[in-house]
Amino acid sequence: MTKTSRRFKLVDTFYIVMMILPLLVGMGIQVLTKPQSDGIALTGARIFFTIPMPIQNFPVTESQINSLLVTVTIFFFCLYMVHGISERAKLKRQLIAEWIVEQVDKLVHENMGGVFRGYAPFIVAMLALSAVSSLSSLIGLFPPTSDINVVGGWAILVFILITYYKFKCGPLYYLKSFTEPVALLAPINFLSEFATPISMSFRHYGNILSGTVISTLLAVALSGLSALVFGWLPGLFGELPWFRLGIPAILSIYFDVFSGCLQAFIFAMLTMMNVAGAYPQEEHEARKQKKLLKKQRKNENKQVA
Amino acid sequence: MQSLPIISINLWEMLFALLNLLILFLLVKKFLYQPVKKMLAERQATIENEYKDAEEAKRKALSDKQAYEEKLSGAEAEADSLIQSAVQTAQIREQQIIAEAKEKADGIRRQAEEDAKLELRKAEQTIKEEIVSVGTMLAGKVLEREMNEEDHKKLIDSLIDEIGGEYEGHK
Repeated sequence: MTKTSRRFKLVDTFYIVMMILPLLVGMGIQVLTKPQSDGIALTGARIFFTIPMPIQNFPVTESQINSLLVTVTIFFFCLYMVHGISERAKLKRQLIAEWIVEQVDKLVHENMGGVFRGYAPFIVAMLALSAVSSLSSLIGLFPPTSDINVVGGWAILVFILITYYKFKCGPLYYLKSFTEPVALLAPINFLSEFATPISMSFRHYGNILSGTVISTLLAVALSGLSALVFGWLPGLFGELPWFRLGIPAILSIYFDVFSGCLQAFIFAMLTMMNVAGAYPQEEHEARKQKKLLKKQRKNENKQVA
Repeated sequence: MQSLPIISINLWEMLFALLNLLILFLLVKKFLYQPVKKMLAERQATIENEYKDAEEAKRKALSDKQAYEEKLSGAEAEADSLIQSAVQTAQIREQQIIAEAKEKADGIRRQAEEDAKLELRKAEQTIKEEIVSVGTMLAGKVLEREMNEEDHKKLIDSLIDEIGGEYEGHK
């Protein structure tokens, strides 16, 4: 018993370490590669190296590295949560895991209906990746969600899903859906089709980036203010930006923590709404039944013949 | 070190992010969702089993209770009938005993009466004989006269009968 429990604890420790390690690696990379005298500047993700690719070169930047690290963290978090899971919940973390699963199941069921039950893990992944990516700015990492390409990739995936469900009733029905309610509106409908992923990605990316921008502006402003107030002090006391101690943290509660979680939730909600709304369920089921009837009739005819 | 401009569109980066999300989806599904769902289903099954067991046990207990109650009431009825039959036999026996006792007592009384009658007769006889002998003696002594045996006896018998008739009349 003691041997197994010791082994259990060892595995637990391994998972926790593997949860934290990626974030530490990200911080280490940040410390090692960020030039010291960067000053206050708003730039995108820093490029580590570039892979030559057709059409466009693929620059591997902070966002790619950090999103991979976040993925690893979430993966080990999942492993940690379900480690030692049993019917009679012996561990507190099991209750949290159950709570997550049940809540997201409920959310998906309410917003998408029973047909889309399989989307629950996708929504969990999306929520977790988005939220943890945004929150990674708290430990000084470059948040991958403030890169348009990352959020854009997710939005493209959502767009593919939407289009897939719109094509469920055949391409003709898909084309016909553009002429509703009036044929005149077809160009606008066509545009709105592409507006969905763009608006989704820009909303998410813009909110996170705006947090960074405001934080940067605030940092500049507070540096100036402390130079003004404490500039007359001799030596190090005059140089240190005293006002940047603590005050940005209060604002970051909104711009990093709240906004990050909220945007993750909004992105997931929009995904659910759009994907579920794209599926013409009644039409699809009616067509299915028609096909079944046709098949049956054919079989009957064959039998008669 | 170079950095991207704030807004820059790169297809490969988008593809990378897309694949990253897909991979995380698969990981979450495999390592968080499936174990939890499996556990929940197992728990549901266990709970249903427990409920079924409990219901069965309850039903069994109720039927047992009914059976016991039936048995108990049967036993009570049996006891009642036993007591009744015992009382009946006791009454019959009582009457029998009383009747027997009466009979016995009657028998004893009859015997006693018979005995008494016999004794009386015996006594009568003895007295008769005694009186005869005494009479004879008396007569012989008093009259001093010889008499033949037959006259003598006749005389005494008449005397005794007189006395006996008086006695009978008394009785």
